[in-house]
Amino acid sequence: MKFQIEDVTVYFPYDHIYPEQHAYMVELKRALDAKGHCLLEMPTGTGKTIALLSLITSYALSKPSSLVKLLYCTRTVHEMEKTLAELKLLHRYQRLHLGDAARTLALGLSSRKNLCINPAVVSAENRDSVDAGCRKLTASWVRALAVENPNIPTCRFYEDYEKAASDAVLPPGVYTLQDLRAFGKEKEWCPYFLARHMVQFANVVVYSYQYLLDPKVAGIISKEMQRESVVVFDEAHNIDNVCIEALSVSVRRQTLEGATRNLNKMTQEIQRFKNTDAGRLRAEYNRLVDGLAQRGNLPIGDTWLSNPVLPDDILKQAVPGHIRKAESFVSLLRRLVQYLKGRLETENVEKEGPVAFVGSINAQVGIDQKTLRFCYDRLHSLMLTLEITDTDEFLHIQTICDFATLVGTYTRGFSIIIEPFDERMPHIPDPVLQLSCHDASLAIKPVFERFQSVVITSGTLSPIDLYPRLLNFNPVVSRSFTMSLTRDCICPMVLTRGSDQLPVSTKFDLRSDPGVERNYGRLLLEMVSVVPDGIVCFFVSYSYMDGIVNSWNETGILKEIMQHKLVFIETQDVVETTLALDNYRKACDCGRGAVFFSVARGKVAEGIDFDRHYGRLVIMFGVPFQYTLSRILLARLEYLLETFQIKEGDFLTFDALRQAAQCVGRVIRSKADYGMMIFADKRYSRHDKRSKLPGWILSHLRDAHLNLSTDMAVHIAREFLRKMAQPYDKTGGSGKKTLLSQEDLEKVGNGSLGEMLF
Amino acid sequence: PLKDFCILIAGVMNHIEHNYGKGKRLNREDNEEDDDEEEDERDLEAWERAYADERSWESLQEDESGLLRPIDNKALHHAQYRKRLRALSSTAAAARIQKGLIRYLFLVIDLSRAAGEMDFRPSRMVLVAKQVEAFIREFFDQNPLSQIGLVTIKDGIAQCLTDLGGSPESHIKALLGKLDCSGDSSIQNALDLVHDYLNQIPSYGHREVLILYSALTTCDPGDIMETIQKCKKSKIRCSVIGLSAEVFICRHLCQETGGSYSVALDESHLKELVLEHAPPPPAIAEFAIANLIKMGFPQRAAEGVISICSCHKEAKFGGGYTCPRCKTRICELPTECRICGLTLVSSPHLARSYHHLFPIAPFDNVPPSHMSGTHHRLPNNCFGCQQSLLNPGKIH
Repeated sequence: MKFQIEDVTVYFPYDHIYPEQHAYMVELKRALDAKGHCLLEMPTGTGKTIALLSLITSYALSKPSSLVKLLYCTRTVHEMEKTLAELKLLHRYQRLHLGDAARTLALGLSSRKNLCINPAVVSAENRDSVDAGCRKLTASWVRALAVENPNIPTCRFYEDYEKAASDAVLPPGVYTLQDLRAFGKEKEWCPYFLARHMVQFANVVVYSYQYLLDPKVAGIISKEMQRESVVVFDEAHNIDNVCIEALSVSVRRQTLEGATRNLNKMTQEIQRFKNTDAGRLRAEYNRLVDGLAQRGNLPIGDTWLSNPVLPDDILKQAVPGHIRKAESFVSLLRRLVQYLKGRLETENVEKEGPVAFVGSINAQVGIDQKTLRFCYDRLHSLMLTLEITDTDEFLHIQTICDFATLVGTYTRGFSIIIEPFDERMPHIPDPVLQLSCHDASLAIKPVFERFQSVVITSGTLSPIDLYPRLLNFNPVVSRSFTMSLTRDCICPMVLTRGSDQLPVSTKFDLRSDPGVERNYGRLLLEMVSVVPDGIVCFFVSYSYMDGIVNSWNETGILKEIMQHKLVFIETQDVVETTLALDNYRKACDCGRGAVFFSVARGKVAEGIDFDRHYGRLVIMFGVPFQYTLSRILLARLEYLLETFQIKEGDFLTFDALRQAAQCVGRVIRSKADYGMMIFADKRYSRHDKRSKLPGWILSHLRDAHLNLSTDMAVHIAREFLRKMAQPYDKTGGSGKKTLLSQEDLEKVGNGSLGEMLF
Repeated sequence: PLKDFCILIAGVMNHIEHNYGKGKRLNREDNEEDDDEEEDERDLEAWERAYADERSWESLQEDESGLLRPIDNKALHHAQYRKRLRALSSTAAAARIQKGLIRYLFLVIDLSRAAGEMDFRPSRMVLVAKQVEAFIREFFDQNPLSQIGLVTIKDGIAQCLTDLGGSPESHIKALLGKLDCSGDSSIQNALDLVHDYLNQIPSYGHREVLILYSALTTCDPGDIMETIQKCKKSKIRCSVIGLSAEVFICRHLCQETGGSYSVALDESHLKELVLEHAPPPPAIAEFAIANLIKMGFPQRAAEGVISICSCHKEAKFGGGYTCPRCKTRICELPTECRICGLTLVSSPHLARSYHHLFPIAPFDNVPPSHMSGTHHRLPNNCFGCQQSLLNPGKIH
């Protein structure tokens, strides 16, 4: 359907539109007009992605002169593919109506692991080794050697791509990763390099958060994007954590040992070069003396390391004199590694700010702040000079230099924490030195500054006023939308007591109480006998899950549960978890029924959907607070209080509740779906916790469901499931309109639609 | 305060109007509103629902002299009945849907652990048995040419309670004797068993399975998807009525085999759902080839003759029928002759079955005032039963 939003003709590939999608588009359009950033919360399953895509592409089409380009960031490759598939549909529709005027180029960009088509390279087990495998075949010096000596292997796809040179372009269209690979295979061009090249010309680019937020990657990929681009962060409820992780480094004993090995290897290499090709080292030295940017005169294809700090913070200066020589730089790194080793030996937990830490480095091993800052670039230059291609082996020394550069650059918003052992296992020495970033706004600041519109959207962004404070920006629009439903297809409940009327909670003093464990067990047992197919349970942590499952096993509750449904458990091992999930799905499909035990903040809680019969009920056992004794968290809380005046309790509750909302949100992915959510903890009944849940859950949380005991919950569940099993009318009969056709939209006009809805 | 008062009054008015509306509704011909009321009932609280079935207070009416008298519900029910008839005939008239008249239906009753649950009173199992009894009678009433078999699932095993047969009494007796529940339930086992039986049915017969399912899981020995495909291939139409919640595999089964899936809300809804399966469903397209079937129309045997019947293998005195081909004595119709295998029916059976294909056109409603008019010379009494049409219930 085609309709007008103010001055933009929106092309929407479906015949009907949900009213909230329309409202979402209107808000988005206003934000784009105002050239500002916006925060939009809309529940999952309401077609957020297609609303975003169709509005922004239509907006770009309506203003052909402007350079509106869409950078769409997703969290996972799977989401990327889904987004591109929607875009394909939309593109086909636009072509139908506009013909060639709607020609666009849209593509997904991912790592080599997902795009490589060279069978010898892509078979490697992890991302780093695929990258290294690729470099071994495509680095400029390798290719230069191969010209002389045909025995040296190169990648034929890359060679063909290079040969085609400027002819190597993608014709307009929408390319998923799979399409890119197919196209590459057909033309025998390397899809990865082709995609990276085409990103500059594409109208829509779909890639992962890291390409914009992690300065190490963003410097290479995203530096050429125009200011007019619209940046979308989808599923962005954890964006602050992504920002923080991009700037945090942790160093363990293994890292330091690996770094020492790397340094030895480099010394050998330097020695070898001295004997065979001294001129190379000389040339590098001269270049550094001249203070040229390291990458300036190196072939572009070799840019694979970029500075971990943000563009503004890089000094435009020459590399300090005493590390220009390769040997002196290596020996400096040796001293640094030695110093870090010494710090790791400590018996106590230590916490320092970057300033004090740099001071102590300077005092003990004589490396000043400025030198530290250049470590990363200097290493990069050295590795190129030494023609090192197996970059995956040199990850350790890169980590050290990364650390050095960050600690040398930032004086605020970071802290260094050294822990000799894990708090929970004090008997096993596992020293770790962490440089943790506390300020999420640091990493995202350049994005907000460079692009005129940044859209942050997710199903759970509540409370919506906290995000601008955490990320330190001013949105022009921040709105939370609810879902228009034809029937009450979600049923949230707060369970505060067991059948024996004793309170249940995972509060520290209550969690190991056998009464609470038994009550939780009885709750699950009752539920498995009334809920069909799949049930998902979320626990607050792995250790808590282990404990409670053990105790259920001992008391025989687990056995009784198994009579009704099979039990699957998420573990920290990814392969095991994937296998468990697979079998869980199978058990749901064949009617045996299954329960999945999972952990809030785990992999499953973040990325896996339990829609339809895969999740008819989700139980959240306890409130998933972070481990509050963690030093990093404490340091961050302190920083937040000082800098942004966000109270400790507020932040912790906010964080716990968004995790809980995220977990329970897994269960419903579309309007035709239905599911129940049980928040099993007495603390959820308190207003300060409850009010932080997203609006679309709260609006279905009836007052009568706020303080339930197990038997009441079972009764409600029975009623709910019977009601939901009845056939229903998708368009929503007479009263509430939940699907609007083109005529409806024209009839109500833009203004009055909002009133009709809310 | 004045504003509050106004709202209060408005509230009262609403209330009055509401009550008034209810009173009036009783006399209305169309019962659209009644459907709404039924929906309302489903939203009631649990304790209210217990009384909802007999709303004895609502069927009272004050007459002109101030006495309370029970309302005559017959008029209302009659109106509903007529509406249903009209709906039926209009769909039938709009499209001549071919229907399977000779049905071979297996009723699968889940007697697993879940059937013992007491969310239906007194228990799911007892209630199901009650509905099945009603269903079997209704089924044979509407489909005299069809046959039913009973299968129960208990302890993960499917057991054939009665073979396909045409006698309602024997089925009901067999079921009521076997009512106890235990163990898990297995749809696959049941389907396998039923499939083996139904696969031997001649091609003109319509194969159907109706599963009354209490459990929420199925513990199967193998891959149930294969079994479902097998049923689909053999054109067995599987329908499921669930007693507690929607189970994916049941929905899948029904979708694949063209059956219907429904879940009962309460006792009356369950009854409705079960009885929905009594009229024959539209025939599956591939099945709808015209077939000639050989049938015998036995004559009633002469009174006072003693002969050995083939069904009970006993000497019987009087009554009974004689097979026109092999002259065996049979106790009841319709059936298949034990000796020569001929299908034996009586012509009223055939006629009754045909009603599904060619329903009787609905009668025109004539208000009593018209009847007394002179130019419509309508009789005052029904020609069949001699009841007075002017004031029903009295014979003139």
